[in-house]
Amino acid sequence: MQDAELAALAQAGDREAFGELVQRYAGQARRVARAVIGDPNDADDAAQDGFLAALRHLGRFDPSRPFGPWLLRIVANAAADRRRRQRVRATEPLAPQLAESGPAPDKAADVAALHTALRQALQALPERQRLAIVLFDVEGYSHREIAEILDVPEGTVRSDVFHGRRTLRERLGTWNDWKNED
Amino acid sequence: MSDTSPFDHRPDAELGRHLRDALAAPDGGAFVRRVMASADRAYGETLPGQWLGVLTSWARPGLVAAMLVVAALAFWAGLEVGRSEPVAGFATLADPLSDDSSRADVPALLAEREAPNVDIILAAAMRD
Repeated sequence: MQDAELAALAQAGDREAFGELVQRYAGQARRVARAVIGDPNDADDAAQDGFLAALRHLGRFDPSRPFGPWLLRIVANAAADRRRRQRVRATEPLAPQLAESGPAPDKAADVAALHTALRQALQALPERQRLAIVLFDVEGYSHREIAEILDVPEGTVRSDVFHGRRTLRERLGTWNDWKNED
Repeated sequence: MSDTSPFDHRPDAELGRHLRDALAAPDGGAFVRRVMASADRAYGETLPGQWLGVLTSWARPGLVAAMLVVAALAFWAGLEVGRSEPVAGFATLADPLSDDSSRADVPALLAEREAPNVDIILAAAMRD
């Protein structure tokens, strides 16, 4: 069943239809929320806020347009609101390989350390660049769709993806060196 | 990360895969259950978007009921009107026929100076 049909059913009170939409978009929503809020628990709270806000405002969804960008815009806004409210948030400890500008990370460094380093590098980016990178490179949305989600011009999205990638590459230079030696 | 240009309009598959793994959150099933538990509370109330549906669902039987009431009232009014005595304004031909005082012969009618009543003329014609 198409997203628009599920959305119409959910709006009419069909709980199962809403459940199907949650199933389909839970992964994307959680990743987008985590791109905005570093803490995974807070990110899940924000993603949940986003789903519930979407449920309350399903009447505003235009069924002629894709559901994903509409939902993710709500989730991103919910995450940004939550982050602004919290101000103080827990920070992950710096990955030792990136904390020091010493030798390249050990080739035996586990995947968890790499992921931590990536998350830190991502969190160092401005919020809009983070979202643009995640929506483009992770979720596969087009520049036009991301422009709708972030409510910015398409050129701004292209610029954000460009600058975000460049910063990520700079910050993860040590990891690149390590990878190229592999 | 792949060595694609930052200007590349295509997603960077390798960066995307690593970021996806880095941002992955465990136990998707628990998250879905948690969201649905909250959604159940929202469904317990009437969602704002559902008010129109509720009103629409009320409108159809309401209109049918109103039409039935109007039809019943019209039928009842029709019966009442049929039962009631004819009023003066609705006098019929039976009145002049049964009323001896208003009987008039044709010659008498011809001698009248004022215009005669149509009913009396008709009554006189039917009697003859």
